[in-house]
Amino acid sequence: MTQSILRFDEPASQADAPKTTPHLLPCRVHHDGPVEPVESFWEPKPSQDGTTFTAYFRGRKLCGKNIKLPQGYRGVVAVPSPDETAEAPENVKKVQVIDLEAAEPEGGMPEAQSSLQVQAEFDEMLIWGHDVAVDSADAGGGVADPYMRAVGEWLAVAERIHSYPASDTQPGGK
Amino acid sequence: MARTRSSKGASATKGGDQKKSSTSTTTSSSASSSSVYALPETSNNPPKLFILPKSASPSARVITLQHPRYHRPARFLVCPKAGFFEFTAVSPPNSAPRSWLLQPVPPAAAANPDRAAQTTQITQSPALYLATPYDPLFLLLPALFAGDASDAKSKKRMFLSLDDHLDAIPAPGSGPASDDGADNASSPLAALLASSTALRRLVESRMRAVCDVVRAGDDDMFRANEGKLLAELLGKARRMVGADGDATASPGGKKRRLPASMEERFVRRALEAPVLGVRVPRGGPSATTTTTTTTTTTTTEEGSGGEGGEESQASDSSVDTAASSESTATAVSAVTAATSVAAAEDEAVTSAIAASDTVVSLQRMRVAFDFILSSCVTPAVAELLRAELAKGTAAEAVDFAPLDDYLALLAKLRQEAAAARANDFSRKREADEEADERAEKKRKKEAEEKAKKQNMSRGVKNLMKVDTKGMKKMSDFFKPKAA
Repeated sequence: MTQSILRFDEPASQADAPKTTPHLLPCRVHHDGPVEPVESFWEPKPSQDGTTFTAYFRGRKLCGKNIKLPQGYRGVVAVPSPDETAEAPENVKKVQVIDLEAAEPEGGMPEAQSSLQVQAEFDEMLIWGHDVAVDSADAGGGVADPYMRAVGEWLAVAERIHSYPASDTQPGGK
Repeated sequence: MARTRSSKGASATKGGDQKKSSTSTTTSSSASSSSVYALPETSNNPPKLFILPKSASPSARVITLQHPRYHRPARFLVCPKAGFFEFTAVSPPNSAPRSWLLQPVPPAAAANPDRAAQTTQITQSPALYLATPYDPLFLLLPALFAGDASDAKSKKRMFLSLDDHLDAIPAPGSGPASDDGADNASSPLAALLASSTALRRLVESRMRAVCDVVRAGDDDMFRANEGKLLAELLGKARRMVGADGDATASPGGKKRRLPASMEERFVRRALEAPVLGVRVPRGGPSATTTTTTTTTTTTTEEGSGGEGGEESQASDSSVDTAASSESTATAVSAVTAATSVAAAEDEAVTSAIAASDTVVSLQRMRVAFDFILSSCVTPAVAELLRAELAKGTAAEAVDFAPLDDYLALLAKLRQEAAAARANDFSRKREADEEADERAEKKRKKEAEEKAKKQNMSRGVKNLMKVDTKGMKKMSDFFKPKAA
């Protein structure tokens, strides 16, 4: 993980951002990058009730479960901006020095040294299991899928742990 | 003609057969390589997946701060409006490999057609980064309690301004706080707060919640106060288990409580009593014995009633019926009494073992509190807070005594159960071992005999049947001659 300050580069308008559906495959694919045409190997079909999905991937049956992100959160697919990540380490150092000198940024926030280009947004994910759907925590089982727990439980718990009275944060409470 | 193309067959017939097989393999491999689609180049800059709060503004920044609990650099998302967010990476264990397939949702017809069609992508790394809210209070704790860590003897905390406190926060990657190392690498948090007044105000308000404040000139001076911090954290724990006032009015609609996996693992299992199959069957037999005794008494009563009837003969038949009815009535009451006794026994057993609601809620509270302490607060501060909690002087202190009593009882029960079970096992195993040993000996003997018999020739076997009584022993002939 780089130590530089990052910002998220959003498309101009929120409606502009293309939607995507992340599928969490139950296998590791040793490839990064585009895999077109996807229709030739990936064709998920929803079940009758629309909560589970079925797909066949290289002859294996996968069962998918839909997770909606909780309210107040959005999913983002972002790429580290290529020009800055390609820089050599010493260049990064130089950038930091320059940044410290020009320390009066806009909006009261420090200048970002590199950015994460938001490519697409999502508000639900599909988690696939091989042959059987992944189990969620409320099914009564002991160990739930880590992704299910993260989205379903941790977000809510963290919110409760780290919430603080909003009135205090208002300006003028000096 | 079916021909196996194994290596053996190929080597045996080195002629045209092998050539044929080699050509067939080359054709098949060329067919597989000349796929309809060529895999595009691997990108060395794969996309990452984030889950971000919608409240974060575009001016939010991802910065690296020293994590207050683990003393490691950690990534935080800081927004002047929405506050601090901590990045948590979700990634499955290596035993369950995963990868992302990002499939674009086909845009609606009304969507702008000029946008190039998004391509489906694979991201090998299964990481998912969650930005969850983070109370800036925890970022300040190491600074507020910095004095305690260095010399525990002189627990004298000074009133310091916010900036002085911030100076005590170590920069990420510089290890634990050291006095001389503080100036050459200032904390990014200090730089951040210096540049953003909104964040500074937010942090000050959080300081106010846990510190004694003294106004000196234009500046507020802060000093950490364990009692206030404890109350704050207990409030957090209460919110976590949904024990605060608005438990029913949660946005989700359902009652807020610990997440299901935590509830299962730390509350239900922690309070679970050992298997109570020992006492219940004992309750059954006792009940039946009481019923049998009552039935015998009723029969004797009936018998006596009959005798009475015989004595009175035909004087009064109503007496007889009355006696019999009386006896049956007593029998019924006795039986019900017996069952009620059994039921009471059962109830006693279960109530001795099941946790009451107060105990369960206390356990939830403790789990939440411990979780907060262990995940957000340094061990030293956590110790301090535990001591403070044990003192019980805080305003919102929670009395864990019923829970402790219950846990002590539970530990005793578990120990007893374990001891009982251990005895059972050893007894069973002993018996098994004995039987095993015997069987083993028998088997060995049989095997030896069998081997002996097999080694003997037919002649020897026949000779063994010869009656050698009265004959000289063979060894007699080979003795050295007595001089």
